[in-house]
Amino acid sequence: MFLEIKGIKKHFGEGESRVEVLNGIDIEIERGEICVLLGPSGSGKSTLLNIIGGIDNADTGYISIAGEKTAEMNEKRLTQYRRKHLGYVFQMYNLIPNLNIKENVEVGAYLSDNPLEIDELLKVLGLYEHRHKLPNQLSGGQQQRTAIGRAIIKNPDILLCDEPTGALDYKTSKEILKLIEEVNQKYGNTVIIVTHNDAIKNMADRVIKLRDGMVRKNYVNESKIPAAELEW
Amino acid sequence: MRNPLYKRLSREFKSDFGKYLVIFLFIAGLIALVSGFLVADNSMIAAYNEGFEKYNIENGNFELMLEADDELIDALEQEGVTIYDQYYVDETVKENDSTMRVYRNREKINLPCLMEGRMPEQADEIAIDRMYADNNEIAVGDSITLGGNQLTVTGLVALPDYSCLFENNTDMMFDSLTFCVAVMTDEGFESLGEDHLHYVYAWKYDEEPADEREEKEVSDDFMKVIAENAVITNFIPRYANQAIQFTGEDMGGDKAMFILFLYIVVVIIAFVFAITTSNTIAEEASVIGTLRASGYTRGELIRHYLISPLLVTLLAAVVGNILGYTVLKEYMVGLYYGSYSLPTYETLWNGEAFVETTVVPFVLMLVINLTILVSKLKLSPLKFLRHDLSKRTKKKAFRLNTKIPFLTRFRLRIIFQNIPNYITLLIGIMFASLIMVFGMMFGPLLEDYSKEIDASMFADYQYVLKAQIDTKAEGAEKYCVTTLQTTTEKYPTEDIMVYGIEDGSDYVDIDFKEGEVHVSDGYMIKYGLKDGDSITLKDKYSDDIYEFTVAGEYEYPAALAVFLPRREFNEIFDKKEDYYSGYLSDKELDDIEDAYISTIITQEDLTKISRQLTVSMGDFMVLFEYFGIVMFLLLMYLLSKQIIEKNAGAISMVKILGYSNGEIGGLYIVATTVAVVVSLFLSMPVCNYVLRWLFSGYLYTVISGYFPYMVSNTIYVKIIIYGIVSYAVVAATQMFKIGRIPKSDALKNVE
Repeated sequence: MFLEIKGIKKHFGEGESRVEVLNGIDIEIERGEICVLLGPSGSGKSTLLNIIGGIDNADTGYISIAGEKTAEMNEKRLTQYRRKHLGYVFQMYNLIPNLNIKENVEVGAYLSDNPLEIDELLKVLGLYEHRHKLPNQLSGGQQQRTAIGRAIIKNPDILLCDEPTGALDYKTSKEILKLIEEVNQKYGNTVIIVTHNDAIKNMADRVIKLRDGMVRKNYVNESKIPAAELEW
Repeated sequence: MRNPLYKRLSREFKSDFGKYLVIFLFIAGLIALVSGFLVADNSMIAAYNEGFEKYNIENGNFELMLEADDELIDALEQEGVTIYDQYYVDETVKENDSTMRVYRNREKINLPCLMEGRMPEQADEIAIDRMYADNNEIAVGDSITLGGNQLTVTGLVALPDYSCLFENNTDMMFDSLTFCVAVMTDEGFESLGEDHLHYVYAWKYDEEPADEREEKEVSDDFMKVIAENAVITNFIPRYANQAIQFTGEDMGGDKAMFILFLYIVVVIIAFVFAITTSNTIAEEASVIGTLRASGYTRGELIRHYLISPLLVTLLAAVVGNILGYTVLKEYMVGLYYGSYSLPTYETLWNGEAFVETTVVPFVLMLVINLTILVSKLKLSPLKFLRHDLSKRTKKKAFRLNTKIPFLTRFRLRIIFQNIPNYITLLIGIMFASLIMVFGMMFGPLLEDYSKEIDASMFADYQYVLKAQIDTKAEGAEKYCVTTLQTTTEKYPTEDIMVYGIEDGSDYVDIDFKEGEVHVSDGYMIKYGLKDGDSITLKDKYSDDIYEFTVAGEYEYPAALAVFLPRREFNEIFDKKEDYYSGYLSDKELDDIEDAYISTIITQEDLTKISRQLTVSMGDFMVLFEYFGIVMFLLLMYLLSKQIIEKNAGAISMVKILGYSNGEIGGLYIVATTVAVVVSLFLSMPVCNYVLRWLFSGYLYTVISGYFPYMVSNTIYVKIIIYGIVSYAVVAATQMFKIGRIPKSDALKNVE
């Protein structure tokens, strides 16, 4: 198994304000799968994504990626792990305002010894024409494409997307999802998408539903449809 | 691949050009000033030190009451020394009433350095000290009248035994305005007559003492030998000769002050940078979180944020050093030549100056910014992504009493939000104020001090005689005087004037008690003496020790002095009952021939310290004053700009809510105004305390005599006004900035 999530528990706060956010999560994800983590607000999906991404710690349990357990890594190794294996896309694009589009993507390329060809990726992202513009000269969708480009340029094993369409309109959201799908097909990365939009599950290979910190459903989507056909 | 984050730098410099430019100019200017000073100082010190050998400077000199014969010279030379005549005549320059000490042209010892023109060749020619000539606007070719002789100035010289123009070694301050040294041909020297001739002899050891301690022992022994063979009236070994040593010591002292000054300012600027960077980190928290989550290491980000302050410092250091070695060096050399009679110099590459002005500021900037960056970027990527930059687990907003009006509470919140900015502002204002008080205090202080000296003079004329001679002048009163030395270790050994005063004196109003003495106010303050304390003084030329009990204070700021009845003076110093050293008189004593007069102390002599300090420190002081104002402007501008930029989102939001620019200024500008005004008022007592401490802890340890600490209140008022006016200028720019913040900012940046 490529990504193994075993017995993950996590709480926030202490005493009366203690909240169990994750209550023993066990998930396995195959390499190259698109996995959608669904759930309402407070279900623990973003926390789980952060633990997978090595930017938050579990109380118990472990994450294993290609046999490497993140819990056993110190801060330095965790950074290297993220550098080598992970790409992150957030709801807010978090682009560097005084770098142009191409340079923002280069920020990701710098982290890899063997990055993808940057102009080619910009073409895939539909940003080649805009490569010399600054982020504030682009629409939200184009900025999110840039953020995806920054995450994908280093060709990570896993692409973690936290509500990647949360700030976008319907049309732009679909474009972004199409792009994620295209990237997955073209480069073979494992993609984990956290969302509260139920419709997105239809483009996934695997769907995991969380509620109250527990996995309520975990199944392989037999009726997967292309992102372009998603409706909500 | 080169880190693409570095590509931000040029755009960052461009977008915040104003900030980087003022910091760059300020640091470059400061480094230029200090570098120029250090290069000049180093080159001048080298010239000064080389002078000992190059100009064959004496190991000491002594003055005898009568001319020494060959037998005496031979006897003294048996002590392992070579003796050289250094006779001089003190004459008055008619044109400006100053004293000119004329020597024969020197050929063996204390050789003159010709700075301009030529040495005298005729009896009616003279070469005079270069600095005195500058101060009195005398040029080569001009004529002066000396003792009735019309002389032509053929050259300007620096005499190495008078690199600092101390007329008497006991003087508290040198005097390059009304005292001068000069050389003439033998014939010219003879023409001045013998009325004011001093039999001074310089000596050189055949074998130089190994160190200062040995030099002291050898010179003490030598002095005893002279005293056994002749009547000695003055004895000054080189190590104690202010005219030779003061320059070297003073140059070293200034250096430490300048370097300290640079470091303090660099530290303040480093904190300004650190605050700027902290605010940038807060603004860019999401980006930092994303980069860290993507695998950027903390080190990579720290290096990135370190580049701007380090680059600005480095560039400023390079430009500053170039200016320092060129323009500013000339200026500083000019300041030195304005204070000291130094010989010609060559500019020397100064490795130490490079370290002090480039390496150390760079390291200070690095250490302070690195420390703050390491601490700021310690947080986890998640915390950055959540904009939770507090290191504490829970950040609680403290409550403000709701009885406080809303707008006041709003302003208080702004102040609390920007505490680090305001602390840096407070420290910066304190430092700038300190520099300004220092720059502004000396003018009024010297004026007041002169007035005090004037008001407390015993008499208009204080005659010191070579031999006792009666006068028929009415009102002339006999007195005794001698010089002893301090024995306390608190300050370096210094001279104390001991006066024997007539009972019921018309000039010194002291009601003496048997066996007790009064001491001058300066002596009391400097040495922390109280009534009833005992003071121990020693004779300059022997091992005799004298103990006195202090009965009270006598207001006489001109010197450190002890007063006792004349009869007791004569008993203590083993003099005849009717012994006296001279006369106190309010009129000039016409019936005493010049040959009997050793010196006449007038108001001019006692106030020369203030005149000299005004001349030699004036330029420095103006520099300090301007520097303080620039620093006010710089810090106020940078820190208030930060506060406005940090709150751009909030300002934009309140604009949307309908607040006018004036109302917003009333919130953000008034909060900073309060901080500025409070800082200014807090700075004044701190400056007072620090300067008082500097006077007692530093100045008194390096100057002999007493100099009162006085800062006029008008100076504090002036500085507060400067501060407020500076801030008004800055506030106007910030109001303009507030007006330019678009309403859309608040909407764009909401996550």
